[in-house]
Amino acid sequence: MGIRIFAAIDVGSFELTCRIFEYTAKNGMKAIDTLRYQLDLGNDTFTMGKIGKDKLDELCSVLLSFRDAMRSYRVDTYRACGTSAIRETENTMILLDQITQRTGIKIEVLSNSEQRFLNYKAAASKGQEFRKILEKKTAILDIGGGSIQISLFHEDTLTSTQNIGLGVLRLRELLERFAGNREKHERLLTEAIDGELISFQRLYLKNKNVEHMVLIDDYISPRMVRLQKQKMQGMSMTYQQFCENGEYFRNNGRVGREWLPEIYEEGADQVFIASLLIRRCMKLMGAKVLWTPGVTLCDGIGYEYGQKKGLLEVGHDFEQDILACALQISKRYQGSPSQEETLETVCLLIFDSMKKIHGLNKRERLLLRLSAILHDCGKYISIANMAECSYQIVLSTEMIGLSHREREMVANIIRYHQKPFGYYEEVGAAASLDREAYMKIAKLTAILKLGSALDGGQGRKFEDVRVVRKENLLMITVHTNEDMTRERGLFERQADFFEEVYSIRPLLRQKKTVY
Amino acid sequence: MKQEATERETFLNPEYYRNRELSWLQFNRRVLLEARDKHNPLFERLKFLSITASNLDEFFMVRVASLQDMVNAGYQKRDIAGMSPKEQLEKISKVTHELVQLQYRTYNRSLIPLLIQSGLQVVGRHEDLTKEQADYADRYFEETVYPVLTPMAVDSSRPFPLVRNKSLNIGALINDKKKNKKEVEFAMVQVPGVLPRVVLLPAGNGQRSVILLEEIIERNIGKLFLNYNIVCTYPFRIMRNADLTIEEDEAEDLLKEIEKQIRKRQWGQVIRLEVEEGIDKKLLKVLKESLEVSGENIYFIDGPLDLTVLMKMYGLEGFDHLKKPPHVPAPVPEIKEGEDIFECIRRGDILMHHPYQTFTPVVNFIRQASSDEDVLAIKQTLYRVSGNSPIISALEQAAENGKQVTVLVELKARFDEENNIVWAKRLEQAGCHVIYGLVGLKTHSKITLVVRKEEDGIRRYVHLGTGNYNDATAKLYTDVGLFTCKEAYGEDATAVFNMLSGYSEPVSWNKLSVAPQWLKRRFLQLIYREGEHAGKGRKARIIAKVNSLCDRDVIAALYEVSCKGVEIDLIVRGICSLKTGIPGISENIRVRSIVGDFLEHSRIFYFENNGSWEVYASSADWMPRNLERRVELLFPIEDQRLKRKAYHILEGELRDTIKASLMQPDGSYEKVDRRGKEAYHSQEAFTREAREER
Repeated sequence: MGIRIFAAIDVGSFELTCRIFEYTAKNGMKAIDTLRYQLDLGNDTFTMGKIGKDKLDELCSVLLSFRDAMRSYRVDTYRACGTSAIRETENTMILLDQITQRTGIKIEVLSNSEQRFLNYKAAASKGQEFRKILEKKTAILDIGGGSIQISLFHEDTLTSTQNIGLGVLRLRELLERFAGNREKHERLLTEAIDGELISFQRLYLKNKNVEHMVLIDDYISPRMVRLQKQKMQGMSMTYQQFCENGEYFRNNGRVGREWLPEIYEEGADQVFIASLLIRRCMKLMGAKVLWTPGVTLCDGIGYEYGQKKGLLEVGHDFEQDILACALQISKRYQGSPSQEETLETVCLLIFDSMKKIHGLNKRERLLLRLSAILHDCGKYISIANMAECSYQIVLSTEMIGLSHREREMVANIIRYHQKPFGYYEEVGAAASLDREAYMKIAKLTAILKLGSALDGGQGRKFEDVRVVRKENLLMITVHTNEDMTRERGLFERQADFFEEVYSIRPLLRQKKTVY
Repeated sequence: MKQEATERETFLNPEYYRNRELSWLQFNRRVLLEARDKHNPLFERLKFLSITASNLDEFFMVRVASLQDMVNAGYQKRDIAGMSPKEQLEKISKVTHELVQLQYRTYNRSLIPLLIQSGLQVVGRHEDLTKEQADYADRYFEETVYPVLTPMAVDSSRPFPLVRNKSLNIGALINDKKKNKKEVEFAMVQVPGVLPRVVLLPAGNGQRSVILLEEIIERNIGKLFLNYNIVCTYPFRIMRNADLTIEEDEAEDLLKEIEKQIRKRQWGQVIRLEVEEGIDKKLLKVLKESLEVSGENIYFIDGPLDLTVLMKMYGLEGFDHLKKPPHVPAPVPEIKEGEDIFECIRRGDILMHHPYQTFTPVVNFIRQASSDEDVLAIKQTLYRVSGNSPIISALEQAAENGKQVTVLVELKARFDEENNIVWAKRLEQAGCHVIYGLVGLKTHSKITLVVRKEEDGIRRYVHLGTGNYNDATAKLYTDVGLFTCKEAYGEDATAVFNMLSGYSEPVSWNKLSVAPQWLKRRFLQLIYREGEHAGKGRKARIIAKVNSLCDRDVIAALYEVSCKGVEIDLIVRGICSLKTGIPGISENIRVRSIVGDFLEHSRIFYFENNGSWEVYASSADWMPRNLERRVELLFPIEDQRLKRKAYHILEGELRDTIKASLMQPDGSYEKVDRRGKEAYHSQEAFTREAREER
């Protein structure tokens, strides 16, 4: 492998970052330059709903300088991502178009869950150390401007992930409404933070504690890294140590000898808020150790690029995290794990045998698996109206690692596997999905419908199932001695839609075992 | 914490500090002593005397002018030594008058007789010219001088003309031949700067003779005012406030704003008037009133005004035997001629000691980078560059070759503003990305970064120095420069340029400390660490070599750790506001100053650190301006061999018994008492060693 140069751009709420990465066989992924520019886009978005003209001009000018830097490093490609400040503007599309016209840079707007997943990948880029931490009961605390994301892990498995509206910039806005000194502000914030966190603790941790807390943020992490370098420490700190260093964070790295000339204080409020958030999270969740990998969204973007291009050795199965998240949602809505497993198996057999026909990739295969896991989650609310309820649940429940578009696709697949498929005018227009997404939904829905026909809702009746495609036929052979009459009926109904989508007729064959 | 702060208060007593301006005048006196030192060749002595004159000019234009501004504005704040601006000006005036007297005593009584003995006659007054010389002078006037003169008379219809800063002029009182003889008018003519001030006269009796241009003009001044009688003529020279006031925040285009301010410099307030001793009282009155200059700012000169002319005299051909042989820097052993410089740096860090070692590798570094196809980018800071700089040419070439070239040109480098504007425009035209640094801060750091795409990835080559990227001064100033391609330095260098380009600072630094945010704190940490070691009975020592030391926090820290038992040796060439020998405060501190053929310019710092000694070099002095108002860098020298080399520089200067002077408790300096000590001339020793090392 030669050298690959990649640039990751993060258009964040209060800072723009461009990080240039180099990928080599010898060193793997290495950041070679980081350009950071403070621009409080979040303030405009969160208070006015739009990014003002001056800020837009400044943003474009900085992006142009990023472009120059990318040229000078001769980057092979780049990925620019916008987060909440861009996502939550009222005129996102116009804004993005303006930016592209003026700078040539295309910004991809990340959903909250995609952003958090990339942050999580950034932490994973720390390799062995990260994997070791996840083996124990761990919470990843990802502090953003608009919200925080808490993801719980146990034995390397994601058990829960929740987004809570306790972002640093939002809390700062709250403070701005109240006059008072630091003590009063601390009291107010503690009340606000605890109110949300106690519910989270009760619902998702079941009042149990975590051992480690992994911190991902742009406020405290840089100071932790500085402190680590100054004191030659590792990346971990106990709760006690963190509290003892509270003064350090509050004072932007100033310890002792107050009279010494100090670096200017920048974003002191944000640091104060973030520091309090961490302390409260650690306290309420009982975390003993705080681990700060000092990574940023750009690291996650860089890591994902390396992962996708096969430039990195990836020790962690991220797909598994997304599936774990879906399983956890299913569990919450009392889904049946065995039924879901059967359905997933059958669907994947169909998907894999149709590879040459459907032209879908690994990512869509994942969406199918998620659809299989969550296919009947709505029945928890209403059996009669299961399709719509499932659709609404998926649409309003974040799944780490999925974009909003992907979540919409899964929601539609689930919805239409239980009711007649809606044509583009209905599905696409309602969900503002493009034709490409619509066709993927159609293809995956056809598979899910066929798979669930075999399931029949009565539990698994077959020992084994084989799927073979022969020209215009898809032969599905089930090995069972059970009565399959009901399944056959269901299958025939779903086969029509499958044929409509693929021009391939599915056939169900039963093989009985003679003892 | 409270107790710590109170303890510190004791070290801030103004009595423990010396005023920086008076300390600077002491330094200039030490340079003057070199002009008086009989061990120096005669023409070198002329050079030293000339340097004291140009130093004094700059001192007036900037420091005295600034104090004058403070007085005019009613600013009362006292300096670290407890002196008000007015008190400082009074004291400066007194000391400067004494210094000027010493300058001219040296010129008249020591140097002029020696010049005559050595075969060079400087004709001081045109009346002393021989007939043949006078004829030659008159012809020279008519043919060469007259066409470029612009005589100016003052009367009710013609206001007093603009007298340009630092220009030499001849003032005259004249009266109209047709009018009353008692009615005199003022007239003046500027001695043209375009003509050589030292004019060679026809030789005779084996003796070479020169006369100064103003004498030739004075002799012929009647030819400029034909209908007038010349009552008297005297040369005069003024110094104006040349401190630029730039509102960077409000300036839309910094380059244009500086150009505007430079033009204003010619109209600054007159802060010094030099006139010939014995000047006509009426003429003096006219000058004094028209130029609005007070009595204490008038200097009566017993000799030619503006002794910087002696540098021209130094350049006269045929007197090489009265000068030191020209210095030829030795090659840098780690970099063989014609070798790939990047490969040399990859073999290991390289520490260069200029001017003992040649500056050529630094120029070659940029040159090679400009044409190397693997080089992606070149980034450099420029503070002062030479005329026709090869570095500028290489940067232009690089931009033309498609490299990304980013150059920070410091437009505010005092008295180099015009030069730097020219460079900046030239570089921009060549396609370089020229930046002017951060608002409100001068970028004084000396750093170059070359980014190269190599087989195993991106590699960054860095040069860090204590001196400017100026191939001309690199032959005269002592500086150190480090070449490295270690990743940690490369990362930091990248971050420095990102910061200078307006991006945020990095989360943390690996090796470098950067002013104004972090450098002072770093120095103080290093100093206090020695104090802690000493307090625990461990090995502790500080050696610091700087050009100037006048930062109160640093001095207080040095006092504090000195009290804890840290042995401190300071090699401070110029200003030193720290006082030695204060009982219970600075008994462990020694200060020495080295004034030699080369200008001591490197800043090197040694901290014993209980045996794990550390050596650093920096672009910064221990002055508030460097630590608080400039972008400066401190870098560690980590390679063991190079650390020893840097330490050897400090050791050599501490050993010096020829050019070193020691600060006395009263603030005066005395040459090292050589009794029982070997004669050791550090600059000569370094020259020798560099040659032997090649």
